[in-house]
Amino acid sequence: MWGAGLINGLRITMRNMLRGPITVMYPYEKLELPERSRWAVRSKYFEDGDPRCTACMACVRSCPDHILDLEVTTAEDKSKHIDRFSYEVGACMMCGLCVETCPFDAIEMSHDYELAVTDAPLLSEDLLADVDAASAKRHRELKAAAQAAAEAAAPSSAPVADDAAPTEKGGDDA
Amino acid sequence: MTDARDIATEVGMLAPEGTHDPGLPPAGIRRAPEGVDGLTTEHLIINMGPQHPSTHGVLRMIVEMDGEEIVSAEASIGYLHRGIEKLAEHRRYNALGTLMDRGDYVSGIHGELASALAVEKLMEIEIPRKADYLRVLLSEINRIASHLVWFGTFGLDTGAMGQFLYAMRDREFLVDILESITGSRMMFNYVRPGGVLADLPVGMDAQIREFSDGFDAYLQEHHELLGGNEIFQHRVKGIGTIDRDSALAFGLSGANLRGSGVAFDVRRDRAYSAYDDMEFDVPVGSTGDAWDRYMVRMEEMRQSNRMIRQCLDGMPEGGFTAKVPKVLRPPAGEVYAAVESSRGETGIHLVSQGGDTPYRFHYKAPSLAVLQALEEILPGHLLADVVMIIGSTDIMLGEIDR
Amino acid sequence: MSDVLRVILPVLAAVGLMLTNGVVLIYMLRKVLGHLHLRLGPMHVGWHGVLQTVADVGKLLTKEDITPNNVDKALFFLAPAAVFVPSLMAYAAIPFSETWRITSLDTGLLYTFAVLSLVPIGVLMAGWSSANKWALLGGMRAAAQQIAYEVPLLLSVLPIVMLSGSLDLVEIVSAQGGYWLGFVPRWFVLHPLGFIASLIFLVAGLAELNQTPFDMSEAESELVAGFASEYSAMKFGLLFLSEFSNSFIISALGITLFFGGWTLPWIPADWVAHIGPIIFMLKTYIGIAVFMWIRGTYPRVRIDQLMSLGWKRLIPISLSLIMVTGIAMKVVESVRGVS
Repeated sequence: MWGAGLINGLRITMRNMLRGPITVMYPYEKLELPERSRWAVRSKYFEDGDPRCTACMACVRSCPDHILDLEVTTAEDKSKHIDRFSYEVGACMMCGLCVETCPFDAIEMSHDYELAVTDAPLLSEDLLADVDAASAKRHRELKAAAQAAAEAAAPSSAPVADDAAPTEKGGDDA
Repeated sequence: MTDARDIATEVGMLAPEGTHDPGLPPAGIRRAPEGVDGLTTEHLIINMGPQHPSTHGVLRMIVEMDGEEIVSAEASIGYLHRGIEKLAEHRRYNALGTLMDRGDYVSGIHGELASALAVEKLMEIEIPRKADYLRVLLSEINRIASHLVWFGTFGLDTGAMGQFLYAMRDREFLVDILESITGSRMMFNYVRPGGVLADLPVGMDAQIREFSDGFDAYLQEHHELLGGNEIFQHRVKGIGTIDRDSALAFGLSGANLRGSGVAFDVRRDRAYSAYDDMEFDVPVGSTGDAWDRYMVRMEEMRQSNRMIRQCLDGMPEGGFTAKVPKVLRPPAGEVYAAVESSRGETGIHLVSQGGDTPYRFHYKAPSLAVLQALEEILPGHLLADVVMIIGSTDIMLGEIDR
Repeated sequence: MSDVLRVILPVLAAVGLMLTNGVVLIYMLRKVLGHLHLRLGPMHVGWHGVLQTVADVGKLLTKEDITPNNVDKALFFLAPAAVFVPSLMAYAAIPFSETWRITSLDTGLLYTFAVLSLVPIGVLMAGWSSANKWALLGGMRAAAQQIAYEVPLLLSVLPIVMLSGSLDLVEIVSAQGGYWLGFVPRWFVLHPLGFIASLIFLVAGLAELNQTPFDMSEAESELVAGFASEYSAMKFGLLFLSEFSNSFIISALGITLFFGGWTLPWIPADWVAHIGPIIFMLKTYIGIAVFMWIRGTYPRVRIDQLMSLGWKRLIPISLSLIMVTGIAMKVVESVRGVS
C-alpha cells in the first residue's frame, strides 16, 4: 500500500526517541579515552624527577612538519644540557611518529586534548627547559637492572601483552 | 585614504565612476535564445558558493537556470587545495600516510593503504599475513564508517534529518573501535609500509563482534527509514542517470560505476592484501540513477560487515609488521598501486629516484572524475535535484582538491 | 466603558497568546526534534533550557537591523507585518471552549481561511524585496505552494461543514458530541468520510505552513533561509513568530474540526466545563507535536512534485469527497425518512 513506508518511518523515529538520547554533556561529563589515543606530546621522567630525554635529536628529525626543536649546550665532558626543547603544539598533527622513533621512551602521546588557548604565543610550548639531559649510560644501566630483576622474579618469560607493541618496532637499527 | 571602492575599481571589479551603463542586463543574467512566439526569457546564473550547507566540502557550482531547470553547470574547485602532492615530495616514505589521511579524510585507512602498497611494491617487501588481515579488517570498518556518513548526508540533502543522527550513532561505535586500535578517530596513521602500527588491543575482538552482530538490524532500520520512504523514492528514482557508456568514458569507479551496471571492483578484480581470502558479493545496479547508487552502497555496507566477520574468524597468527629500515629508501623506479576506497579506485603513482623522499607522488582521486560527469548530467534537472545528485555520487572535496 | 473593555481585552489576550505560543513552541520544537534525533536540545539556559527562547527573543530585540542597499524599502519594511497581521487575525474565530473565544462568528471557518490566504502575499513581498536571487526563489516557491494548497484545504473541510450543517466552529464541535454504538465518540476523524477529509487536511495544512515535507521555500540544505534570508533582528523574529503561530492555528482548526475541540470523550461535560480551554490547548499542542514528528522524519518533496500533488491529486480527491458526502447524506436521510 502506498504510504506504508511513511508510517513505518514515523514508527522508527518514535522507537529511536524512546531509546533515549546518547548525548554526553561535555564538559560536565567526559568520556574516557582509549589507551592508545594520541594527543599532545609530553616528556617522561625517571622516578627521581630527571627527564629521560638524552637530546639524541631522533624525534626532531622524524617529525614531518618540523615542529620539535632542541637547543642543547654540550659541556667539555660530552654531557648535554637542554636549554630548550620547544614544541609547537598548535601545529602538531598528533601523528605519533616522534614517540615511535624515540629510542629512550622519553616522550609520550598524552591524553591531554583540552589544548585550546586564547593567546597565540601559548601555542608554542616548551617540553623541557634548562635541564640536564639524561645520559645514554644511565638508560643502559636501568635497562640492565630491569632485565636482571625480571629474570630473577620469573624464570619463564611471560608473554608480551598486545598493548606493548606501539613503542617497539620490529626492526629499528638506531 | 584608499577605501574599498578605490581598490575594487583598480582591480576591475567595480566600473569607474560614470561608466556604468544601466541599459545592459546585470552581470548575472544571460539572454536565452529566442523561444516560441518570439518571446525571450533570461537565464539566471546562480552561484552555489563554496560556503553552502549542502555541498560536500567546499565545492562551488555555477549553474545557469531557466526558471527552475538547469541549463548548464560548472564546477569550480580548488578551495581546499593544500598541496598534498607537493608536500609529499618533502616527506619520508613512512610519513606519507599522514598526508593521505587528509586527502579523503573520511576513509583514511584506504588512502594510507594505497601509499603503503605503492612503497611495498617498489621495495618488494613481503608483509606478514596477519598484517594483511588487519589491513582488510580496518579497511572494511572504515568503509562502513564512510558509507554511514554518505547515508546520513544523502538524506539531509533531500531534507530528512533523522537518519543522519542515527547513522552518526552507529558511526560512533566504529570510530571508537578505530580509536582503540589506531589511537585516533580520524587521522589514523596506522597502515605503514611493511605492515601496520600495532596489533589489536586486548578485548577488541569482542567489541568488534558486538558491533557486527547488531549492525545488520540497524542497517535494515536505516534503509526502512530512508529508502522505504515513498517521498524519498519519488525524489531519487530515475534522477541523475549516468548510463554505462558515459560512466566508463568519464573514468568513474566504485559505487558510481557499479550503479551504472559495470561490475568492476578493485578488491575482486585486482585483488590486493587479503581480499583473495575473502568471500563477498559485489552489488551492481542496472539503470545508473541515484536510486541504484543508493542501493549499491547500502548493500556494500552489508558485505563489509560480512568481511569483518571473516577477518575476525580467520585472523592468522604472526607479526603485525615486517622488518623495515627506519628510513626507507626505495630503489629508483615508478609504480602504481590502487585500492578500492569507499569512493572508488584510489591510486598512487609513485616515482622514486632512490632518495628518502619521493620524486613524484600523484594521488588519483576517484571523486574528480565524478565532477566532470556531473557537468554533463545535471542539465535538464531541477535545482532541488542538483544537491541530491551531488549527494548520491558521494564526492569528497578533500581528495578532489588535494 | 466596559463595552470597550469587552472588545479590547480579548484582542490583547490573543496577542499575548500569540507571543507566548511562539516562545513555547520554539522551545518545544527544539526539544522534540532533539529527542527524536537522539540528542537533548537546549539544556543550559534555565532548567533543561526552558529560558532558551527568552534569551533568543532578547537577542533578536537587541540585534542590529540590517537593510541591504538594493532592497525595495517599502516592501522590505512591510513584508513582516503583512505576514504577521493575518496570523493574528486568525485567532478571532478559534473557540477555546464554549464560552471562551475572542468573538463569535457565524462564518468562523470561512473567516479563518480567508484571513490565512493573505499570508502568501506577505511571503512574496519578502522574497521579492530582498535583493537576493535565493530569497526570490524561496519567496516565489512559497507563494506558489501556499496559494495552490489553499484550495484542497478548504475543499477538504467542506464535507465536515456538510455533516455538521454550519460554518460556526462552536456548532461544529457540538455536532461531534454524542456516541456511536454507545462508546465511540462522534469525532469526525472517526467518521469514514471525515477520516479521508482529515488526511487531506493534514497534507494541505502542512503545505500551507511550509513545514517538512513541504518546506521547499525554506529548504535549509539549498536556500539557507529562503525568503527570509535578508532579514535580521525583529523583522526575522516576526516572520518566524508568524510561522509558529500559523501552525497553532492549523492545529487548532484540525482539533476543532476533527477531534472534538475542547471536549473529552467518556467524561461528563459538566466535569470539564471549567477546564475546556486547557484541554483545547493540550490537544492543539499534541497536534503540533505530531507536525514536529513528521518534520523530523520525512525528506522534502520537490517543488514540481509538490505542485502536481496539490493540483492533480488533492483537488480531484477532495472534490469527489464532497460529492460522495452529499450523496451519502441524502441516501441516509431518505433511508431514515422511509423507516
